[in-house]
Amino acid sequence: MDETFINSYRSPQLSDNWLLNVNPLNKINIYVALGLITIFFQHWQVNVAITFLFVLLAIAAGRFKNFIGPFLKLGLVIGPFFFIVRAIFWPGENLIFNYGIINITQEGIDLGIQYATIMLVVCGILVLCTVTIKAEDLTYSLEQIGVPHNVSFMILSSLQLIIDLKDKTKVIMDSQRSRGIETEGNVFVRIKAFVPVLSPLFLGAISGAEEKTIAMDARAFSSANPNTHLRFLRPAPGMEKILVLAVDLLILGLIIMGVVL
Amino acid sequence: MSYMELKNVTYRYPLAEQDALKNINYHFEQGKLYGIIGENGGGKTTFCDLMKGLIPSFYGGDLTGEVFIKGKEIRDWESSELASSIGYIFQNPFTQISGIKETVFEEIALGLENLGVEREEIIERVTNVVKQLKIEHLIKNNPNKLSGGQRQRVAFASIIAMETDILVIDEPTSQLDPKGTSDIFEIIHLLKEQGKTILLVEHKIDLIAEYADEVLVIKQGELITSGKTSEVFSNVELLNEGVNIPQIALLSNDMKEHGKPFETFAITKSQAREQILKKGSEKICQ
Repeated sequence: MDETFINSYRSPQLSDNWLLNVNPLNKINIYVALGLITIFFQHWQVNVAITFLFVLLAIAAGRFKNFIGPFLKLGLVIGPFFFIVRAIFWPGENLIFNYGIINITQEGIDLGIQYATIMLVVCGILVLCTVTIKAEDLTYSLEQIGVPHNVSFMILSSLQLIIDLKDKTKVIMDSQRSRGIETEGNVFVRIKAFVPVLSPLFLGAISGAEEKTIAMDARAFSSANPNTHLRFLRPAPGMEKILVLAVDLLILGLIIMGVVL
Repeated sequence: MSYMELKNVTYRYPLAEQDALKNINYHFEQGKLYGIIGENGGGKTTFCDLMKGLIPSFYGGDLTGEVFIKGKEIRDWESSELASSIGYIFQNPFTQISGIKETVFEEIALGLENLGVEREEIIERVTNVVKQLKIEHLIKNNPNKLSGGQRQRVAFASIIAMETDILVIDEPTSQLDPKGTSDIFEIIHLLKEQGKTILLVEHKIDLIAEYADEVLVIKQGELITSGKTSEVFSNVELLNEGVNIPQIALLSNDMKEHGKPFETFAITKSQAREQILKKGSEKICQ
């Protein structure tokens, strides 16, 4: 029996990295506060700078490899999409190109860049949250501030459901492939193979939900007793609180300056 | 007073046209293992759901008659009270894992967290269960990445950690391979030795013959026969009711029909072996 592992539950869950040890709610506070700057300083250069800051934070957390892949995948889909939509439809005085409903203007391109980089910031926040915050730590922190246990369970279950559905999709696709159905190829082939997967996938999820409810009932989920936690986090240290407050005040100051000036 | 008792219990699911359970009467004694057998769709799982308190609170429907658990009528139990008194393990190992815990150790602790057990006691109880079930090597694993057999053992561990006196176990091995089945029955044997009262639905009839103290046969919602395991399985007429009989019981019956009966009607391999050794295998085979 691994006594070191068991004993780890007797102390707060800590890693070797200072940023990962920051309370999940404080981390979200910092990320969102940084993201808010984009709303008040509407310059794409600011958005890029904040995105770059998120990359630095991922490096500081030792999670760069986990961060960069999903960030690029998400950012390179959403960012260009917003750019294109704004760039080719937005009306403006400085017309660059016009053909039918396509109406490229300098204003549209500027706005497209602005929106695309805002989306990079949003993607940065989302991916940074997923790579630097464990879902269970987040729900623990939420419960500590009074969020009901069943709400935190729902959050965790929903996140797990995404992973489960992905795994089940792979299983169904593999079984289809083993029956000779074409699942690889161009986008149309993939869509054609994917659509029949949807009904067994979601019907399976629905039928599994009843059993999961019973399983959770057997684990006293509906118990009236206040629940306890095996895993727990340390209370945020004073320095961490000061850091968060300082970041918040700094950003608030910047926003006020930006609005006033 | 019986530990658990059913008096004239009839149950019908919402919108159903027929009763799923019909006028069931039985009393269960503490510390015994009850095997529940019968055809598929005969009402075994409904029976388990009833004993677990899911009927009528979870499924709705019409329940008549009375079900007493430890002397208290089931409708008077709070759901959380039942969870700390009756453990429930069912067929599908994949839906019994909460899906929200990162390690098997945390998964087993979930029920105890919900009951509000203090951390130190949780650690102690989970550690003990893990040792009992010999799953020390799994404690750091992600429960969502385990095989079916491993998940079923973790599901058992999670319920055993809650230290319920009664266990309702519905076809725990139906999705497992022979090794997984053998592991699960090792656990069931352990629970029986610990004095738990166990209601076990299982199709592997030879295992029921080996482990159950009493057997209940349910067909189309009716309790068609019940009693001591050896007595129930010595009635080969049950085959006509679509009920499997242990191979050894059939052998015992053949021996009887050929005028060379065992001294006592054997229903398990160990009983038959004992009888054969006693009489001398050559004489038996003549």
